[in-house]
Amino acid sequence: MSSTREYLLRCLEPHLDARAHEWLVSACAECEALPHQPEVRFPTLISLASRKVPAKPLAPTLAQRATAHELVSGWNPERWTVLEAVRAVLVLSRAHLAGPQGVAILDEVFRHADIGELCALYKTLQLLPDNARFTWRAGEGCRSSMSAVYEAAACDTGFPYARFDDVAWRQLIVKALFVGAPLHRVYGLDGRLDEELARIVLDFVEERRSAQRGIVPATWACLGRNGGARARASLLTELSTDHAAGRAGALLGLARAGYTDDFKAYAARGDSDPLVQQALGRALAARPTQDDYAPLFGL
Amino acid sequence: MRFFDPHIHMTSRTTDDLEAMSKAGVRAIIEPAFWLGQPRTNVGTFVDYWSSLVGWERFRAAQFGVAHYCAMGLNSKEANDEGLAREVLAELPRFAFKEGVVAIGEIGYDEITKAEEKAYQWQLEFAAQHDMVVMVHSPHRDKKNGIRRSIAVAKECGVSMSKLVIDHNNEETVQDVLDAGAWAAFTIYPHTKMGSERMVEIVRQYGPARIIVDSSADWGVSDPLSVPKTAHLMLERGIAAEAVELTTWQNALDAYGQSGQIDKEALLRTPSIDQRQLFHQNSVLRGQAPRIDEVVPNN
Repeated sequence: MSSTREYLLRCLEPHLDARAHEWLVSACAECEALPHQPEVRFPTLISLASRKVPAKPLAPTLAQRATAHELVSGWNPERWTVLEAVRAVLVLSRAHLAGPQGVAILDEVFRHADIGELCALYKTLQLLPDNARFTWRAGEGCRSSMSAVYEAAACDTGFPYARFDDVAWRQLIVKALFVGAPLHRVYGLDGRLDEELARIVLDFVEERRSAQRGIVPATWACLGRNGGARARASLLTELSTDHAAGRAGALLGLARAGYTDDFKAYAARGDSDPLVQQALGRALAARPTQDDYAPLFGL
Repeated sequence: MRFFDPHIHMTSRTTDDLEAMSKAGVRAIIEPAFWLGQPRTNVGTFVDYWSSLVGWERFRAAQFGVAHYCAMGLNSKEANDEGLAREVLAELPRFAFKEGVVAIGEIGYDEITKAEEKAYQWQLEFAAQHDMVVMVHSPHRDKKNGIRRSIAVAKECGVSMSKLVIDHNNEETVQDVLDAGAWAAFTIYPHTKMGSERMVEIVRQYGPARIIVDSSADWGVSDPLSVPKTAHLMLERGIAAEAVELTTWQNALDAYGQSGQIDKEALLRTPSIDQRQLFHQNSVLRGQAPRIDEVVPNN
């Protein structure tokens, strides 16, 4: 039994009544005995799970969340549901998943999946043996504009950070801005910022401004130290808008880029908005990270 | 007032319709799988259509505060293409147990052919085996005989009458359906089937027990507001409020709630709308400001 499967079963213990537990044990046994080629029973069991176990939050403890990250770098099951965890256990129980037919077996499930199944499957990719085989599939999830599916593939998982090439990674980041997904939950964002991403993001900012549309605050988390004078000018422009969350995001951006003089000059001007004050406080304490954009999400 | 339209083909309707339905108080709908106005030529188009019923259509409705459920099945018209029908039925178990699938349907007779009966029986046996609700489409031609036969074959196949909904009834067929112990649904079409005025008289004569009003709105001349319009006419013409609620909300909830797939408590909560959510590269929005957390009136 894989360590991640054991871990998930432990997390599930308090949530499953005797009947649900009995079904899961039996379904796992079925999965372990399935043939090496794709067939109907495995996807059917994944579907049936929704009729056997509750869709309530898994609610792992802090210690359990830390263990998850130790088991699989970047994995945070904080927002998983019980149903998703059960489906992950079924996938991890599937015989021959590590074999040459593994991708075909899982493709068959993806092809007929509903929204809830898609979310569970994308969250599970990071836990699979030799998971580089599923990189194309994970990219498909990050192309979805349904925010729940996108988040399942892109957020709270170390998979894209570890596996995506630069093109796919940058598309994932920019897509988060388009679908309004929580970019701060994309594991490894701060570790994979580059000049090309900054150019794409600054182009996007100019398109938005030409159309007289607002800028999502997390946009400014995509620059880091990249973008040069163009980035600095764009950040300073944001500070002159009446969008408080945008000003807070831009201030964090200035601090992340190391434009200390600009940052301090703005602080001296006395912007009293609570969001801006909060951002100033964080930036003065230490160089802001992607996590510091969390309070600005959705604003 | 709040309404449940338990038969509507939203894939053929626009966002204007969804908006109007939401404003008129339609809180929940069921979209049964049906034909698309012309015969399909391969099983793949069925698979993609069924996928959209548990994917995009559900998501699209949710953006307007409308809970979307569906029924899965092979319709009677396309059952006559026997080779294709065999392939389609082989795929049905993959979708029948998805979340939000409340019935097998709409199935039944069109011309009352042997091929139609074969597909109907297969699906009835499948439903009985898995204790599912069945939504039956009754034929336009030879309706009375078609309905009697639909009920008799459903009994033979082991479907409980409490889980059988016969749709597209009229004054001539309702007694047979009620006598059998099944649910009698009525489709309100502006020019064919059943008008709102006739519906009022049916409720006056037969009472509200096991009677359900729906729109069956689709790609033809039809009205997605049939259910609320009929409810208002019933009230105007002196039908008791309790009877109106039963026929336009509660009976559908009781019939299809037997599937265990409808979260009744969630339906009773005041819905809110978040149009920021997108689906597969497509938003239902085209540049307009998203409605976020806009409360849908529920009174």
